[in-house]
Amino acid sequence: MRKSLRKLIVAFMTVSLFLVGCSNNVEPNNSAVSSLSNTSGQSSSPQQPVQAQAQKTVIEYWHVNAETQGGLTVEELVSTFNAQSDTVEVVAKYNPDMYKGLMQNLQAEAAAGRSPAVVQIGWAFLDYFSNNFSYVEPQTVIDTHFPENKTFISDNFLPNIAALAENSSGSQVGLPYSLSNPVLYINKDLLRQAGLSDEGPKTWQEVQTFAKTIKEKTGKYGLYIQEPADSWAQQALIESNGAKMVTVQDGKIQASFASNEGIEAYETYADMVLKDGSALHLNWDEGVQSFVDGNVAMLYTTIARRAMVQKSANFDVGAVNSPAWEGKERALPSGGCFLAITAMTEEDQKAAWEFEQFLYSVESVAAWTIGTGYVPPRTGVSEAENGLKSFLEENKMMEAATTQMQYMVPWTSFPGDAGLLAEQMLLDMRDEILGGSKSARDAMIETQNKINELL
Amino acid sequence: MDKKRKIIPYLYLLPSLAAFIVFMFWPLIRTIYLSFFDWNMIKPVKEFVFLDNYIRIFTDPITFKVIGNTFLYIGLLLIVNCAAPYVLSFILSHVIKKGKVFYKSTFFLPSVISLVVGSILYTWILNPISGPVAILAKGIGITIPIWSKSQGLVIVVLSIITSWKVFGYNFIVVLGGVSGVSQEAIEAARLENVPLRKIFFDIVLPMSSATGVYVFIITIVQGLQYVFTPIKVITQGGPNYASSNLIYQSYHEAFTLYRTGGASAFSIITMILFIALLLLEFRFVEKGVHYES
Repeated sequence: MRKSLRKLIVAFMTVSLFLVGCSNNVEPNNSAVSSLSNTSGQSSSPQQPVQAQAQKTVIEYWHVNAETQGGLTVEELVSTFNAQSDTVEVVAKYNPDMYKGLMQNLQAEAAAGRSPAVVQIGWAFLDYFSNNFSYVEPQTVIDTHFPENKTFISDNFLPNIAALAENSSGSQVGLPYSLSNPVLYINKDLLRQAGLSDEGPKTWQEVQTFAKTIKEKTGKYGLYIQEPADSWAQQALIESNGAKMVTVQDGKIQASFASNEGIEAYETYADMVLKDGSALHLNWDEGVQSFVDGNVAMLYTTIARRAMVQKSANFDVGAVNSPAWEGKERALPSGGCFLAITAMTEEDQKAAWEFEQFLYSVESVAAWTIGTGYVPPRTGVSEAENGLKSFLEENKMMEAATTQMQYMVPWTSFPGDAGLLAEQMLLDMRDEILGGSKSARDAMIETQNKINELL
Repeated sequence: MDKKRKIIPYLYLLPSLAAFIVFMFWPLIRTIYLSFFDWNMIKPVKEFVFLDNYIRIFTDPITFKVIGNTFLYIGLLLIVNCAAPYVLSFILSHVIKKGKVFYKSTFFLPSVISLVVGSILYTWILNPISGPVAILAKGIGITIPIWSKSQGLVIVVLSIITSWKVFGYNFIVVLGGVSGVSQEAIEAARLENVPLRKIFFDIVLPMSSATGVYVFIITIVQGLQYVFTPIKVITQGGPNYASSNLIYQSYHEAFTLYRTGGASAFSIITMILFIALLLLEFRFVEKGVHYES
């Protein structure tokens, strides 16, 4: 009797161990695919023989590109790299739910004491990432392991572009990789029908009159400005009018968007939605869909949507530079992500840079641009024969984005733990203003005060 | 030998008990524990704040908006996914004679399709500017309101989208209960010329009440969880929390704002609220339920 009892207890313990083991393995990763590549990359036993055989350092590259959003290009770049490198083997790992999803997985990974080598970090998470995770600046890795390439960053990146990946305390957290900026897509047929220039509006004041005319002449809507769960496009709107999302006062970062310029910009936007009825307050997908269906004449959204717009619109479609405010200079936040090195050992860090250097070559950047619709983060790609020369000649809409690179500014990320909450408050503010429950002035001042209390 | 007989059944229960402890009771205890801390899931130190999270939640007007929304969801879900299937299954099993199989499978079919797919489909179908419904409505001179940005209306539409998933299952379950009502009783009532409405309320409803109560409860408990999907896909709780409910709000606290403490406190409050609702149900509804055996 005792024997069988003992057997049972052993069986039970094995089962429960198995259960616990399962939960540990699966939890950090949401998808079956990622947990698969995780087990092969992490557990030491299957990894050793590979290393011993090929003498290669195996590192992980975390990205957010689903198959339809450049995932195929990621696979292609990684396999090309693995084929040509004798020292490094990269395992690409897809993270669902974009940069937020990746951040969640990274959070879980860090909690388990592990870390991939190279990660894509969305601009909005710049400060959050650099405050909460350990990373190494690319220049440090270059200086230690590749001193012959010391000037790689300054040689290949515009200063305002490299500075995008600098956090509020001045650390170069990573290097810009996926870059996008907002452009104005126009339905030329509708513009002509309303008797307007098919070159599109140049300023936001013109946008307002255009939209009004379109509404009156055609009955269609004039404008939709993207409204996903971030305030990227709204930042472009108000910062181009001279407002600043945040300013540094006595070494402290303060929200400052409710300046007169900021309020003026938002008021114009709200007037178009509420008073003129010429602009739409809608979810992002619904808005983009309404543009490609021909029900909205102008769409203000990211260049990363170019391929989709180009393919889906069955009218004469164009893209123009992001409008400026009369007499003022544009300030366009960058969308997309930068690459940060989170590898923990020297060896992995060296491998990480070897991989990054490959990703930043002219050919790789060109492939990345074609595969994703982002604009090239580095110089010397657009005009190069082995780069994007012929591609840009064929896809004229890209020009709207590549010709406004000099106006790009960092996408504001609020510092500290309260950063995410501050972002949320900006979204709530947008709903209040565009829903008409509060005036732009009241909502902005109130939100600014609330955010400053937090910070 | 006798002792062995007594122990062994308990040992057989152990594995499932272990699973419950690992995946339910331990997380529950952890959640209660975490609700007293300020933490963002990666900081090495959790800061003990005792009741601060609860105080913050109860002084935040958003919380009450969200609780109000939750009750609105419950009301709508009960109409669409509990009352409607009841009436339909009565019609199907005792009123109509032909085409029963066709209706049964038609009503059940949508619930095999993923709710994410359903949500994306509906976003397109109900696009107030350029969706097919809007175009049809325009043809007869109606403008569809921008529901995804309207207070109140957004909850109605999301509840309807959820019924895509929940309706079919509930319908099949209720149908089982309703067709179990003895045919003789209904035939007898018919011979007496009792109106259908009376047959439904005085015979069918009481005699199938055991199933009814089950569906009533899962409509609330599961329905609120299913609503999560369209909220996440379509509105993310917006505009300005108008479509959020208690369950989505816990998720929002945890995975949008990374406030583990707040999220845990929210979950605990939700749980207490649901326990209270269940107790009310036991107190007032369960008494009148008819169990056959």
